[in-house]
Amino acid sequence: MASFLKSAASAGSAAYDSFRRLPGRKFEPAETDQLVLDLQAALTEDRVRNDSAQRALMSHDASVFDGGNAGPVCYPETTDEVVAIMKIAERHDRAVVPRGAGTGLAGGAIPLGDAPVVIAVTKMNRVLEIDEDNGIAWVEPGVINLDLTNHLKPHGYHFAPDPSSQQVCTIGGNVANNSGGPHCLAYGVTNAHIMALEVVSPAGDVLQLGGLDPEPLGLDLRGVFVGSEGTLGVTTKVAVKLTRNRPGVRTLLLSFSSVRDAANTVSGVIAAGVVPAAMEVMDARITEAVENYVHAGYPTDAAAVLLAEVDGLESGVDIDADQIRAIGLANNATDVRLAADDTERALLWKGRKTAFGAIAQIAPDYYLHDTVVPRSALADVLEEVYAIADRNDLLIMNVFHAGDGNLHPLIIFDGRDPGVLDRVHQAGAEIITASLDAGGVLSGEHGIGVEKQKFMSRMFTDDDLDHQNRVRQAFDPVCRANPGKVMPMGHSCADIQQLRAVPRDVWG
Amino acid sequence: MTLGLDADDLNSCVQCGLCLPHCPTFRVTGDESMSPRGRIKLMREVQDEGAPLTAEVLRSFESCVQCRGCEPACPSGVPYGHLMEQTRETLADQKKMAPGWQRLALKPLKHPAALQAGTKALSIIQKTGLVPKRLGLPDDLPFRQEPLVASGDDVYLFTGCVMDAFQRDVHQAGQRVIEAAGFGVTPTGDLAPCCGALQAHAGLAGETRSLAEHMMRSLAPDTPILVDSAGCGAAMKDYGHLLGTDEARAFSARVFDIQEWLADNMADLPTVEPLDLRVAVQDPCHLRHVQRVHLATRVVLAPYVRELVELDDEGLCCGAGGAYSVLEPELAGQIRDRKVASIDRATPDLVASANPGCSMHLAGAGVPTIHPMELIDWALTGTR
Amino acid sequence: MSGDSGSGDSSSATLHSTDPVLREFAELVGETDGVAVAGGRTRWSAGGELDSAARVIQAPSGIVDYVPEEMIVTVRAGTPVAELHAELAAKGQRTGLPERGGTVGGALAVGENDVTVLGRGTVRSALLQVRYVSSEGRIVNGGGPTVKNVTGFDLPRLMVGSLGTLGCLAEVIVRTNPIPTVSQWYLASDADPFASYQAVMAPSAVVYDGTNTLVLLEGHAVDVDQQAGELAATGSFVEVGPPSLPTGHRWSLPPAELKKIATHDTGAFNALVGVGTVWAAKPQPARTLSPEVQAVHDRMKMQFDPTGRLNPGRKPGVNR
Repeated sequence: MASFLKSAASAGSAAYDSFRRLPGRKFEPAETDQLVLDLQAALTEDRVRNDSAQRALMSHDASVFDGGNAGPVCYPETTDEVVAIMKIAERHDRAVVPRGAGTGLAGGAIPLGDAPVVIAVTKMNRVLEIDEDNGIAWVEPGVINLDLTNHLKPHGYHFAPDPSSQQVCTIGGNVANNSGGPHCLAYGVTNAHIMALEVVSPAGDVLQLGGLDPEPLGLDLRGVFVGSEGTLGVTTKVAVKLTRNRPGVRTLLLSFSSVRDAANTVSGVIAAGVVPAAMEVMDARITEAVENYVHAGYPTDAAAVLLAEVDGLESGVDIDADQIRAIGLANNATDVRLAADDTERALLWKGRKTAFGAIAQIAPDYYLHDTVVPRSALADVLEEVYAIADRNDLLIMNVFHAGDGNLHPLIIFDGRDPGVLDRVHQAGAEIITASLDAGGVLSGEHGIGVEKQKFMSRMFTDDDLDHQNRVRQAFDPVCRANPGKVMPMGHSCADIQQLRAVPRDVWG
Repeated sequence: MTLGLDADDLNSCVQCGLCLPHCPTFRVTGDESMSPRGRIKLMREVQDEGAPLTAEVLRSFESCVQCRGCEPACPSGVPYGHLMEQTRETLADQKKMAPGWQRLALKPLKHPAALQAGTKALSIIQKTGLVPKRLGLPDDLPFRQEPLVASGDDVYLFTGCVMDAFQRDVHQAGQRVIEAAGFGVTPTGDLAPCCGALQAHAGLAGETRSLAEHMMRSLAPDTPILVDSAGCGAAMKDYGHLLGTDEARAFSARVFDIQEWLADNMADLPTVEPLDLRVAVQDPCHLRHVQRVHLATRVVLAPYVRELVELDDEGLCCGAGGAYSVLEPELAGQIRDRKVASIDRATPDLVASANPGCSMHLAGAGVPTIHPMELIDWALTGTR
Repeated sequence: MSGDSGSGDSSSATLHSTDPVLREFAELVGETDGVAVAGGRTRWSAGGELDSAARVIQAPSGIVDYVPEEMIVTVRAGTPVAELHAELAAKGQRTGLPERGGTVGGALAVGENDVTVLGRGTVRSALLQVRYVSSEGRIVNGGGPTVKNVTGFDLPRLMVGSLGTLGCLAEVIVRTNPIPTVSQWYLASDADPFASYQAVMAPSAVVYDGTNTLVLLEGHAVDVDQQAGELAATGSFVEVGPPSLPTGHRWSLPPAELKKIATHDTGAFNALVGVGTVWAAKPQPARTLSPEVQAVHDRMKMQFDPTGRLNPGRKPGVNR
């Protein structure tokens, strides 16, 4: 184990070297070339931007990776405009990179290589139709996740996937990353909530994938497109499933004197046949940071807190809530609190969902990981995660979707400390290895992006990866869409020029 | 070039993007360069990486409404408002922003007489139909206004500049309500003509500081200063940060939004029949996001109207933004459209807004607005 | 091609190709001639007529690993669903696979949902990990053992409903879920099935045959009782035992289309309200894909089975 860990760690670290923190790459002042003129002719001048500021911004997302290289930035408003962009890109042999709100943490929206055209879908943000008879709503990809749920509320529905970034992330981004969120424990991830998609293929064809019927004709290409991180085309319309709002909701906050007790409670609840809507654990450090921000009454003296929510009919949720309380107490819970009303519930969830941002109070940089392990391995892997942090002299916090075994170890650091980045990446690689050794997977919801490509071969054989690559080839034989993502080097569409170091002083 | 920004403040942003939906300009444009995250990134590019101040970078900075709706949304506590004010101050000093005519336009604010005369003139011109609609001025600017008279010295009522000229009615209503609650009121009038908020927004920090110092010298110590304009109140509560002195901090500590103060001092207000109205509360940004005392508006209004309704846009800015609606009419109009749609969904009879800028801006789109103090005064006196 | 691609990483390369049972199945599939995997032959006509020259083989069977508190089960494709569900029921669990005979692999390859899909979930959501033998006779693994997983392209989704035309299913990990405390069917002959569907918060099934409405309510006893009360407002429902499963040709319609079921030439039918599946005496008229989507299908088939040797003669979606 020890030697394997070591080799894994060093391989991981090397994998990051081509990405991390390159000296600030800058663009030359915008040149108006034929590509830009063609794009402007197809859209409007003001919705095709080629200035250095715009391209600098579009070269980043919410991940730590630096060194993207955005080309012209397009803000289409219609499917036809996306088709036009795709065809113009083809004519100029330029790649395209779709982008929603830019909240991805794996670098999936970072344009790589030869200044790809960025397709920002933020202006395609209409809820087109609520079709209650078919149990769906047609929406454009730039609709914000929480806006959609708020929009559906008067009709008695919501969109079930609720990633922590739901107040800002877009449905298009959810589709690209097969987003999860706390409540996918009971409701399933995005893929289970997408009935149909309209996408523009890398060749500029408009494809209808899936359908409103339960078994659409042919292969489940919609299922394959969801979670493909923008590498199979650009989503232009989405039929999302409407989930009925549950009349009864109970939210419990359980405190523990050890993270292991919290993890055991989670396993115990599932083993008892209760499937809560959500089960989230935060350790002491993150709880303190969160409490400083939201003042929701999170206990700052507990080693871990478990936020558990059950929903359903009013009568049944009390049974489930009582059962969770009993299992918690049997696992040494020091306190069990039931949210008194919607306001208290909302405050508790606000704390959970803003946890990642709240740590800037402690140190200016963070690296958020995302692996999944079997629930029964949660406690052991967490202990290993803390040990990894100690070994690498780093501060680590844990906040995770415990019900799904989805870990989000958060390494916090000050990037200005010399050598700290090496330790951060070393620890990250060790966490990934520990998760995979426990029978887990590389990513639960953030995706592979540019972050975890190099780790793909730890989970999959060459044959496995080859077959994944065939999916890519069937949709995008020429590697037009978001090249350099997901598949590791050695597979087609991955071998593009990786983030080059461009001289620092180009901005003059 | 340096923007004079504090390195730790600038670094406190982790680029998570949670601010984006709370930014009115991002909401209507979908453009990252018109978002708080984008603007901070560009501040870093300029200050840390030597990026040039291109037209687009300047555009990014000057398009900010400075509503500070991003601040409560930010889990990292990035002091965005101060970063933007400092950026504008630096750029104004270098004559890169806030052109001369804008500085000139702000001059009369500290000369109430001139402003009153100007308003009178505008009201005449308005009646001729020559004032462009896009300026978003109220439909009928007052031609003549009754003077304000002191009734005691329990509290100051800050009367300010634009508001005193355009909406003295609000001061009068506020004064009557405070008096009805059992307190004597001294209107500040010429004692403290201008708070400096608009100057601060424009990056004219020097002028703001001298206005602040002037006001602090002019008002007697220890007396609470009530402000019925959210923007002014926010600026005056920031004197402590602006001047960095104990005296300024003590001054800021006795500045209260009028609703905030009344919520704790309304025990003796008479009980009357509530007005038969469904009233939507529109929270001025500088009340909600900066002062964060917007809940007080509900507390003081609740006994006096039949029904209070909340808007469903989570306090997103209306686009008024001090002088913003005049400087950026197009963006301000789009932002206002969003707000008006939200108001329409709430189907109120009236919209209560505790900031003159917001009221005027919304009135420009035909929204019937009223100051919370005018509503209470109406309920108490039976006349509007 | 690249030094750090991990192509030589043997730690995982050996992970799932050493299981002798899978190896044996891979050899059985072979690399050249036409081959079809038979399960329980309960839906043998699905996808059309099998090329008569094709070899018919069986997938391995048996439950490989079952940890109830993980809510997953690893099972070989040739295992009968009934056998799997009997094993899970002992621990109070079940899966989204349909209980109508046949094997796990057959159910996944066909992609047909259980009648109680609203309660137990879709087949496509149930499959977490898939191991199949490729047209080149290689063992390929897609997905992972966890419910949440965004690790590359979603091969499990591609396999569900593909009728084994892209690979021969060998072993899968399927999500399990708890069997509800109470399951009770209700029958009325005077109900508007669409009103019944709307009246209760979470029915596990609403089946309508043009006259009768059958509703399955599941969950805590108190919840079932409450919903039964709500149901009563939409018709004179009486408790009945589990009905026999609907049979016939399987139609797939948008749920709203069921309100106009009379306009479709179904013959006798059983329709799943809120879902859109219809089991009918007559087959659904042929549907076609747009040329652009068909082209992606064709390329996908070319990628996975360039010689067309997997389940030759059959096409997903045909003759359900």
